[in-house]
Amino acid sequence: MFTPELQIFIAGSLIAAAGGMLGSFALLRRMALVGDALSHVALPGIALGILLNFNLFLGAGIFLILGTLGIWAVEHKTKLPVDTLVGVFFTLALAVGALITPEEEILDALFGDITKISQLDFWLAVMGSLIIVALLLMFSKRFTLSLISPDLASSAGFRPHLLELAFLLIFALTVAVGIKFVGALLMGSLIIIPAATSRNIARSMNQYITLSAVLGVLGAILGILISRFYGFPPGPAFVLFAGALFFISIFFRR
Amino acid sequence: MPILEVKNLKAAYEKQVVLDNISFSLERGETLAVIGPNGSGKTTLFRAILGAVGYEGDIKISDGTRIGYVPQKIDLERDLPITVKEFLVLRSSAAPSGRWQAGHSPEEALKAVDLTPIFLNKRIGELSAGELQRVLIAWAVSGHPDLLLFDEPTASVDVAGQRTVYELLHKLQDEHNLALILISHDLTVVYRYANKVLCLNREQICFGIPNEVLTPAELAKLYGGDRKFYHHVHA
Repeated sequence: MFTPELQIFIAGSLIAAAGGMLGSFALLRRMALVGDALSHVALPGIALGILLNFNLFLGAGIFLILGTLGIWAVEHKTKLPVDTLVGVFFTLALAVGALITPEEEILDALFGDITKISQLDFWLAVMGSLIIVALLLMFSKRFTLSLISPDLASSAGFRPHLLELAFLLIFALTVAVGIKFVGALLMGSLIIIPAATSRNIARSMNQYITLSAVLGVLGAILGILISRFYGFPPGPAFVLFAGALFFISIFFRR
Repeated sequence: MPILEVKNLKAAYEKQVVLDNISFSLERGETLAVIGPNGSGKTTLFRAILGAVGYEGDIKISDGTRIGYVPQKIDLERDLPITVKEFLVLRSSAAPSGRWQAGHSPEEALKAVDLTPIFLNKRIGELSAGELQRVLIAWAVSGHPDLLLFDEPTASVDVAGQRTVYELLHKLQDEHNLALILISHDLTVVYRYANKVLCLNREQICFGIPNEVLTPAELAKLYGGDRKFYHHVHA
C-alpha cells in the first residue's frame, strides 16, 4: 500500500506528532524528564524481545505499563515525589537492560532506527500514534484543568488521581511507540523539544498543543531527509534539527 | 432537607489530625462563615467536601448538587499558555455536571465579575492576583453551583474590590438560592453576610448564629490569648 520510503516518513511523522502533543501536557505538569526515564524502563523489554525473538514494541509496552503502574501505586502509597520514584525505577531497569541486551544490538536499542521498521512495526506505530492523539484530544480539558489545580478538577466532578494514571499510561504508550524512532536514550527529545519550542511562541493552549505536534512532524520529516543524505541514523538527526528550532524560537519568546 | 450535612468529620495528613469531631449543616439560601486561626483546618474542610482528601465520618451532600469552588490561590507560571477564555470553557463540555446554558457565555461570566471582554485573550498567568481571583469566581459561578465554597475570597482583592465581591456573592445567592460557605478572617464580613458561623481550631469551637455564639470568651478560646475583638455595626 505504501512504499517502504513513504512508510518511514508516515510512521516518523505520526510518532513525532503524538510525542509533541503529549509533550505539551508533560511540560506543563513538569514531567518533561519522565519520558527519558520511562524509555529506560522499556529497555529490558526490548532486550527480552531481541533475545526471545518477539516484537520489540510488545516487550517495551509490557515493561512500560508495569513500570508505570508500579510508579503510580508506590507514589500513591508513599507520597514520595514522582521524579524520585521514576529515578529509582529507571536506573534499575537500565541496569537490567544493559546486562541482558546483546552487545551488537545495543546501539539500535539506545538510538533507535526507524529505517529498519517492519510491516508490522509500521502499522503498530500508525495505530499507536493515532490512538495517543485521540486520547489526548478526548482528555485535553480534564488534563488542563487538573494541571491548573487538582482541587478545581475535583470540584468539577473529575478524579485527579485517576487522571494522573490515565496520563501516565498514555505517556507509557507514547514511549513504546516512539522508542523505535529515536531509541531509549533520545526518547525524551521527541516529547520535550517540540513542546518547549512551541511554548516559546504559542499564545493560547490550542496554539500550543497544535504547534507542538506540527513542530514534531516538521522535525521528523527533515530529520529523516537529513539522515538520507548524510547517512546518519534518523533519531539523532531529528534531535539536532528540533534542537536548532528550539534555539531559534528563543528569540521569538513572548 | 439540608443541602450539606457534616457529622463527626475527622481528617488527617499522614498521622497528624487536622480536623476532628466537626458537625454542622447548611440549607439552601444560607451563608456559613468558617473562621479560625491559620492552620486550623479550614481549607482541609473544603477539600474534604470536594472529595479531594480522605476523611472519616459523614459528609452528606443532597443528590444532584453542583459544587463551585474558589480556591484561596493557585500557583501559575507566568508563561502558562492558557487564555482566560480557554480556562472559562474548561468545564463546558468536560464537566459531567456543569454545562453552559443559553445566555452564559465566557463574556457574560466575565461581565458578572466586572471584567471587560479584553481579558478573554489574556493568559491566566499574566493576571494580577485580584484579576485572577475574579476569573476564578467567574469559573466557579459558570458551573451553576448550588453550593459555593469560597476560600478567603477577598484575600488578594483591594477594599473596593472586596465590597464588589461580597455584593456579587450576595446577588448570586439571592438570584439562585445558593448555599454559600466562606472562609474569612474578617469578622465584619461574618456579621454582615453570614447566617451561621463555624469556629474551627482543628476541632469545632462553636457553631451557630454569629451574634449568639461569637462571644468574647469563645473568640479568645478560638484565637488564644486575651485579644480584644470589636464588633463593628454597619448602618
